[in-house]
Amino acid sequence: MTPQCDAPVSDDDLLDYWIHAIDGTDAERIEEHLFGCAACSARFEAMASLGVGLVELVRRGRIGGIVTRSLLNRLQREGVHVRQYVLSPGERVPCAAFPDDDLVVLSLRADFAGSQAVTIALLGADDTLIDQVSDVAVGPKDIEILWATPGDIIRRMPSSRRRVTVRSQSTHPTVLAEYELDHTALPVTGSE
Amino acid sequence: MEVPLERLTSPPDGCYGGRLMADYVGVTDGDLARAVAETAGQAEEAESELYRRFASRVRFYGLRHLRDEDAALDLAQQVMLLTIEKLRSGAIRDADQIGSFILGASRTMTIDLKRRERRRERLRDVFVVEPLASAPHDDTSLDLDRLGACLGQLPERERLVMLLTFYAERSARQVGDELTITEGNVRVIRHRAIGRLRACMTGTGGVQ
Repeated sequence: MTPQCDAPVSDDDLLDYWIHAIDGTDAERIEEHLFGCAACSARFEAMASLGVGLVELVRRGRIGGIVTRSLLNRLQREGVHVRQYVLSPGERVPCAAFPDDDLVVLSLRADFAGSQAVTIALLGADDTLIDQVSDVAVGPKDIEILWATPGDIIRRMPSSRRRVTVRSQSTHPTVLAEYELDHTALPVTGSE
Repeated sequence: MEVPLERLTSPPDGCYGGRLMADYVGVTDGDLARAVAETAGQAEEAESELYRRFASRVRFYGLRHLRDEDAALDLAQQVMLLTIEKLRSGAIRDADQIGSFILGASRTMTIDLKRRERRRERLRDVFVVEPLASAPHDDTSLDLDRLGACLGQLPERERLVMLLTFYAERSARQVGDELTITEGNVRVIRHRAIGRLRACMTGTGGVQ
């Protein structure tokens, strides 16, 4: 049983300490508490373990979903092999993941003016829904959405053509842009 | 016979030679340190319990400052060995301040490790040596497959806030600026996301 703490450090402060948002004497004060308090140490270690695991997943390119440009730049700086496809509305691009690609990123360009959030859908033959990301926040200045998929997943995909749609989220959703991914032009690599 | 220092590791089953960890509930860190100091090498159970309580704290201290799993593990070993040696030799006068001693040793050794790493980097700049092989990536104690699945179940906004927080090490204010939301909102989102990930990882609840 972990003993109770009379003056626990908040989860928020523990997180800020871990990511160096708290430094200097404030960080030293937290360290002194952690080395004298089993209860707060246990909470801190559980939270930090999640952080360590998340960083490891990112470094292996095992993350999917929306990423920001700054996050993508950092990934590339730190050696994650990123293959990026830039798509304008209506464009078709031949795409594939090569053996060294950790992460494949679609840069979906569109005019997002007037939209606050969009839904991105990946459609297969006969418009069957393969994947969907909802509630993607966009601002009037945004010119692209970056959608990441681990290279392993792309390499396992069968030779096919896929359609991507970006719809505004409102009571009357409208299609802002459509794109086509041609996954047939290059030989399929990987285990399949 | 004195217990060899290298035998000091956490027992896999929480049991020290028939004595359960639960036996130490209510025993303060200072009591343990006194037991080690007063019996100089004869208090294997107390030494192991002291190691169990503090090695992990030193490791996470090392991870925070060095951001390197191997270096953090080395730091934990070195600091705990030094601590037990100092206790055995009677060099630590106030056993109740054992936590402060361990923190102080962690700080000193971390500074030394950073200095040595900087020296190595300078040497690498002069003598470029290609690594013979990539370091193995099996050093995290978390189930990465499960964590990846749990992360994938988070709502898009929460997942992105988690990545910006833990990977990019952005403060709540910086994340807010990047995603055009308030700092307070970021704090709420990351608190909720951590709770969901923990629940998903421990099987006490899926990500809703």
